[in-house]
Amino acid sequence: MEDMTHADRIMSTQHDSKISAKGVQVYYGDNHAIKDIDVEIDDKTVTAFIGPSGCGKSTFLRCINRMNDTIDVARVTGDIRIDGEDIYDPKVDPVQLRAKVGMVFQKPNPFPKSIYDNVAYGPKIHGLARNKADLDEIVEKSLRKAALWTEAKDRLESPGTGLSGGQQQRLCIARAIATAPEVLLMDEPCSALDPIATAQVEELIDELRQSFSVVIVTHSMQQAARVSQKTAFFHLGNLVEYDDTDKIFTNPQDPRTESYISGRIG
Amino acid sequence: MKTSLLATDARTKKRNAAEARFKAYGLSAIVAAMLALAILLTSVLTNGLSSFQQTFITLPIELLEERVDKKGNRDPAEMAKTTTIGYAPLLRGAMAAEVERQGLTTELSDKDLGDMISKEAAATVRNRVLANPDLVGQTVTFDLLAAGRIDGYFKGRVTLETAALDGNTSPEALIIAQALADAGVIETKFNWNFFIAPDASVQRPEAAGLGVAILGSLYMMLVVLFLALPIGVASSIYLEEFAPKNRITDIIEVNISNLAAVPSIVYGILGLAIFINFMEFNQSSPLVGGLVLTLMTLPTIIISTRAALKSVPPSIRDAALGVGASKMQSVFHHVLPLAAPGILTGTIIGLAQALGETAPLLLIGMVAFVREYPAAYTPEAGLFGEASTALPVQVFNWTQRSDPAFVERASGAIITLLVFLLIMNAVAIYLRRRFERRW
Repeated sequence: MEDMTHADRIMSTQHDSKISAKGVQVYYGDNHAIKDIDVEIDDKTVTAFIGPSGCGKSTFLRCINRMNDTIDVARVTGDIRIDGEDIYDPKVDPVQLRAKVGMVFQKPNPFPKSIYDNVAYGPKIHGLARNKADLDEIVEKSLRKAALWTEAKDRLESPGTGLSGGQQQRLCIARAIATAPEVLLMDEPCSALDPIATAQVEELIDELRQSFSVVIVTHSMQQAARVSQKTAFFHLGNLVEYDDTDKIFTNPQDPRTESYISGRIG
Repeated sequence: MKTSLLATDARTKKRNAAEARFKAYGLSAIVAAMLALAILLTSVLTNGLSSFQQTFITLPIELLEERVDKKGNRDPAEMAKTTTIGYAPLLRGAMAAEVERQGLTTELSDKDLGDMISKEAAATVRNRVLANPDLVGQTVTFDLLAAGRIDGYFKGRVTLETAALDGNTSPEALIIAQALADAGVIETKFNWNFFIAPDASVQRPEAAGLGVAILGSLYMMLVVLFLALPIGVASSIYLEEFAPKNRITDIIEVNISNLAAVPSIVYGILGLAIFINFMEFNQSSPLVGGLVLTLMTLPTIIISTRAALKSVPPSIRDAALGVGASKMQSVFHHVLPLAAPGILTGTIIGLAQALGETAPLLLIGMVAFVREYPAAYTPEAGLFGEASTALPVQVFNWTQRSDPAFVERASGAIITLLVFLLIMNAVAIYLRRRFERRW
């Protein structure tokens, strides 16, 4: 009995981290893009991936919802678990995984359909709504969570592509959270936005932390410092340093992190 | 030495001159192309527009019972035994009577006068009588086709000088025709028959029409549309979205591009070997023509569909996959609707190309002389299995005939073909505008 509880305790400590990656390697053809990465990502926190261009941070992000599967030459090895389940297990259907791990892309990419249809698409294909009223509710909830409801509620039938850049990105966030994911991946979500829209999205990210585990890739160290609790610094495919954001920015352990943060590399 | 901005240096002058020269080359190329187009259109229109007009002779004909219904029982089966040869004297007599009524004197015999009427006219009268036996014994007014030479005279193709050298007509006949035209007996009217009537023999160009050719082309376009569009789009989607990128797909890709450049007559030989000799479909049938044109059109449709699919931004695919759509859902819900205008344009351009294609159809026998309308379906011949011809082949066919009247017909057929092509391109432009969306 004692053994059982002990085992349970071990299991539960493992479960403290939402996503756990061990020995992840990614190859694009002959190019070794990600080299042996171990990382534990906590639930209900914002984790930022920073690093110079081409360091592999986006590549690693795309491993977490298996978007790399869509690239023919990409090969992923190692072990990535969400809640202890291996997402690269042959039994896992990437389509189901992606409903659980939402993604927001660098450039706002709403479907050329109405605002309503943009948000309703995910729930529709996953059968999350039993009827129209259900769907309306999901759409409203998602738009409210994405802080777009007040602006969009009177124009739900107008095209999503007609919104401003910042609104489009929030629409994409609403679309991503409409499928009730547990993890939200954001690949440089503000790089195409102006400072005001960026501020709105950052504020939103902070609120999303209440419900999801958020992983954000960013080029802006200021942004990482503003929104994240944990920060991982990537360099040339290696995970150089991973710690609390405060610590990374005030007291980096690795000289490479320090030179990046102080602007000497990158 | 200090240079002034106001003075152009030698290098800049040379550069500007080169640019001016290049613009001049471009402009002259455009002018040459426009000139060629203008010449083509003028030539076709001047030769062909007259085919939309036709000369008719209005004659009251007494349908004598002893001629058309020898048994006198009004039984169409019995009356059908009287051939068109039996009707010829009625027409001849009516013509002579009309000339006399107009107070014209001529040295021409009744037979010569009868020859002013088309050989087709007897059949026109006979068909009317067989369809309605009650007309027997009455005097009925008919609008009959004038013979080709008379028609040519009113269109300026035949003159008194050429008629003097012509065995088929004479200056006297033309003079009588002119007098009858002045009296309102001979008239030139819009020629609906040109679009409705089937082809006619070499001796009666005035009766030849495009009906069978238009119908045959329509059937073939249906076959091409219903085969090439789904096959082409499906294979493009597979190649573009699903197929792994490897040597085999590379080879397939290169081959599709090459197939688009294969001379069309090669497809004709292929069709002859496979569809007629091996699968034993009827030759000259729109089915075989459509299948051959489908093979020919497929590469065009595949290439344009793939280009349309490629032009859909990858961010849309990412977005769909990101919310957990399957590959197929992302293609059918998002990529295909965005690619639709390009696919439609490619398909219609492919169809237009197929509509104008002649060479492969010659090899599968569509150049045959066809008098009967092909049915869309018959139990013996199957779907689109009856002999037919097609618009471009009809043009080819008519240009082979000796009577100059067929030159006019061929040009008229070309105009009709061009109008169909224009309509199809207009539809393509309309659809593209209609479905085009920005993202």
